[in-house]
Amino acid sequence: MIEGAATVVVVDDDLSVRRGLSRLLRSAGYGVETYSSAREFLDSGNYGRASCLVLDVRMPGQNGLDLHEVLTAAGHDTPVIFITGHGDITMAVRAMKAGAADFLAKPFDDTTFLKAVQQAIARVRVGEPPSASPDP
Amino acid sequence: MTGKDALEPRPREGKIASPLPQSTGRIVAAALLVSVAYYAGANVGFVFRFPPATPSILWPPNAILTATLLLSPVPRWWIYLLAALPAHLVAELGVPLPAPLVLALFATNCSEALVAAICVRYLSDAPARFDTLRRVAVFVGGAVLVAPFVSSFMDAAAVAALRGESYWIVWRTRFFSNALTELILVPAIVTVATARSSWVRGMSIRRRVEAAILALGFLTVGMVVVFAGPADSVSNIPGAPHTTRTLLLPFILWAAVRFGPGGTSLSLLATVLLAIWADTRGHGPFGTLPLTESVAALQIVLSVVAIPLICLAAVIEERRQANEVVAERLRFEELLTGLSSTFVHLHGHEVETAFEVSLRRLGEALALDRLTLYRISRDADEFLIGYSWSGPGVEPVPRATVSADFPWIMRQILREQPVAVVRPEELPAEAALDAETLRRRGIRSNLAIPLVAGGRLLGALAFVTLGAERAWPDDLVQRLRLVGEVFANALAQKEAEDALRASELMKSAILASLPSEIAVLDREGRIIAVNNGWQRSARENGGAPEAGVGVGASYLDIWRRAVGTGVPHAGAALAGIEAVLGRSETGFALEYPCAGSDVERWVALSVVPLNRPEGGAVVSHTDVSERKLAELEAQHSRQELAHFTRVSTMGELAASLAHELNQPLTGILSNAQAAQRFLEATPPDLGEVRDILTDIVDDDKRAAEVIQRLRYLLKKDEAQFLWIDLNVLIRDVVKLLSSDAVIRNVTVRLELDPRPVMVSGDGVQLRQVILNLLLNAMEAMAECAENDRIIVVRTETSEVEAVHVSVRDAGTGLGQDTHQLVFEPFYTTKPAGMGMGLAIAKSIIEAHGGVIWADSSTRGATFHFALPAPDERPV
Repeated sequence: MIEGAATVVVVDDDLSVRRGLSRLLRSAGYGVETYSSAREFLDSGNYGRASCLVLDVRMPGQNGLDLHEVLTAAGHDTPVIFITGHGDITMAVRAMKAGAADFLAKPFDDTTFLKAVQQAIARVRVGEPPSASPDP
Repeated sequence: MTGKDALEPRPREGKIASPLPQSTGRIVAAALLVSVAYYAGANVGFVFRFPPATPSILWPPNAILTATLLLSPVPRWWIYLLAALPAHLVAELGVPLPAPLVLALFATNCSEALVAAICVRYLSDAPARFDTLRRVAVFVGGAVLVAPFVSSFMDAAAVAALRGESYWIVWRTRFFSNALTELILVPAIVTVATARSSWVRGMSIRRRVEAAILALGFLTVGMVVVFAGPADSVSNIPGAPHTTRTLLLPFILWAAVRFGPGGTSLSLLATVLLAIWADTRGHGPFGTLPLTESVAALQIVLSVVAIPLICLAAVIEERRQANEVVAERLRFEELLTGLSSTFVHLHGHEVETAFEVSLRRLGEALALDRLTLYRISRDADEFLIGYSWSGPGVEPVPRATVSADFPWIMRQILREQPVAVVRPEELPAEAALDAETLRRRGIRSNLAIPLVAGGRLLGALAFVTLGAERAWPDDLVQRLRLVGEVFANALAQKEAEDALRASELMKSAILASLPSEIAVLDREGRIIAVNNGWQRSARENGGAPEAGVGVGASYLDIWRRAVGTGVPHAGAALAGIEAVLGRSETGFALEYPCAGSDVERWVALSVVPLNRPEGGAVVSHTDVSERKLAELEAQHSRQELAHFTRVSTMGELAASLAHELNQPLTGILSNAQAAQRFLEATPPDLGEVRDILTDIVDDDKRAAEVIQRLRYLLKKDEAQFLWIDLNVLIRDVVKLLSSDAVIRNVTVRLELDPRPVMVSGDGVQLRQVILNLLLNAMEAMAECAENDRIIVVRTETSEVEAVHVSVRDAGTGLGQDTHQLVFEPFYTTKPAGMGMGLAIAKSIIEAHGGVIWADSSTRGATFHFALPAPDERPV
């Protein structure tokens, strides 16, 4: 089941993580844009086209949570999935409160990841909370 | 005669010796004595007065007065003359003479005594002595001839005028009788009065026996003379003496030759008395003549004989005294030579005895009561009794403070001036304390002589008499100063020897007390001396290669043998010792484990050159096993602690390390699963899969590196010193901390020397230092604004053969006075910190022979460490 033109943006400082996630998303049929830092993403100005943002929490410079706050403040309600190497509950709570679609601890399974992306995009499209997970 | 006689105190020359008492009571007693003597003398004279002639043929009163005036000071003459007046009056009462004549006779008597006394006093150098020809000549001229000659004119005039006797007969009778009495009585009286008991006491036994024989012989012959009958009985023998009386002549000569003018005078007196006695019995020498004529003839004969006899006695006495002076000088020279030679060849304890003996000999020779050698104290403000001799029955010298008791004398001695005191009263007014002390101690005469050697005052000699007064003539003082020089030199030599011995004793005591084994080597490396420790060790460790050797063995050979048997450190030791012996090195030290015993033993070898022209060295072996074991123990503990802190540091870093590992793991998992998806697609995208596999391999390597870096830190090996490039090491640790830095929002900037920064060290430990410094820097900036969180790590190889590493943070810096404190164990400002990080870093850097320090400013703190750079960079 292909969602067509849905584009997912991945912001992570680690190259191999970016490439691995990019390949997973492409194998599932998504369009993918990757950025190595929040600054690079903001500078690209492409955040308006994204259907879903995958943000690393810990990054040199501005971190994922801050970036999310900036985007929210700017009126962008693109669904966001946070990924982090630290399973930090405090951060997870903060992220969810700020309206994050999901919060994943590295490393994670492909199905978990793709399901989270799919549900985030679907919730925006349907305008209601996701009820079932699409078969990737 | 003994030496004692020669140096017996005498009244001083040129001064009136006054054996007559000084106090009023005694003057009165003396005046009474004069009075009684005068009276007695007058009565003796009356016996020999043969009326109608007024003058007596023997008139002692005038001689008694003359002797009195010679013995007493001029100002008291009138007392004694006045004392004689009542005696004169009383004596003359029994004689029917007119009163004016009695007074006139007293006047002429006094005038004779006065003329005699004045003549002798002003012409003789010693009026009361008759022991030189000059003195006797003055006496004979003044007292025997002039005085009777002059006074007899007045006497004859008075007698002729008042009694109508023949002027010339009176003059002649009086002149001869008075001349004779002056001649034989005055020396006898004066000799007995001045010599008193000491004249007899001073004699040796032999002289006393001789005097007794003389007196006995004299008396025997005298009896023969008196009772042998008229002279005529022998006078018909041709050439025989006219009278038995001439038999006395040998005895008078004997007395003159052997007993001086005093003895002569006494024997003459006895002769006169005997002769007159004989004459009055009618046995006179000139028995056929009338008595007066006979007496006059006797007077003339006696006077003619007596004058040359007394002169002869004086000459002999003078010669004897001169001989005595020479002999006494000789004895003193001998004494001095003896003392000098005594001290020349003495050593150590013998000197003490020599001082005692010398003081005794000198004290006895000088007839002293006490002789004390004082030594000056170190700070020259006190004299301490060094040696002292006291005569028999004399108390030892009191232990008292010289500076308090004899301040004036001590000042003179400090100025190196001798002080001679004949009697305490003679001391000047400023020496009142000294005089008082002398009196209190019963000291009569005292001579203090400074002891000076090599221009240094060492002490003083104090010559003391208690009862008897003692003169200190200049020549005696000069000679005693020579004695002082001998003592001073001996003292100086003894002090020098004492100092040397003390120094040597101290050195050997120090050497003996050292626990180390010490040996002294000559230039060739032979052992020339060892201490107790060495001997002990030689006994105990007979088998050890560097022990069990005594004096005479070659120390170098021992090490040469050790080199031969392959002892590991022997080559280095041998080279070091040879370098010191050859003076190319100023010292050598080596610590080595000692083989051949069950327990591990460490020895510190130290070689120091001997600072002397002949060269040589001092070798010491010190057992440093305990220290060495403690060091190893400490090193082990430090490593344990370091390891423990590394492990705990890892615990703190766990989260960031997890992140560090999660990144490659995440990459690997997502790539692998993507690959599965690409393979399931049709057609499978093999190109993508190939790229994925490459990425997976890289990620895996990355994860392995993280693990490896962790391993480096967590290794628990013995320290291993290797050549390490600090730049590589720092990059490694910074990578390990990179995720932590990300989490803490800290940027680590490296400003590393472009060349490798090589040190010799243990990689694990040095990693820990850098890790601790970086963690410390990160934590220091927890409160900073995120943009400011920058750490700068610099390395450089400095000019001074050291490498320098600094880690600068931008935190709040260090508080004042905490620059040293931060390196103390358990010092921490962080709530969760253990306070061991920097302390561990410090101990590791110091174990590497480096230093670590901190400085700070408002822009943060910088921690530095420097490690010795290798002399040669490894290729």
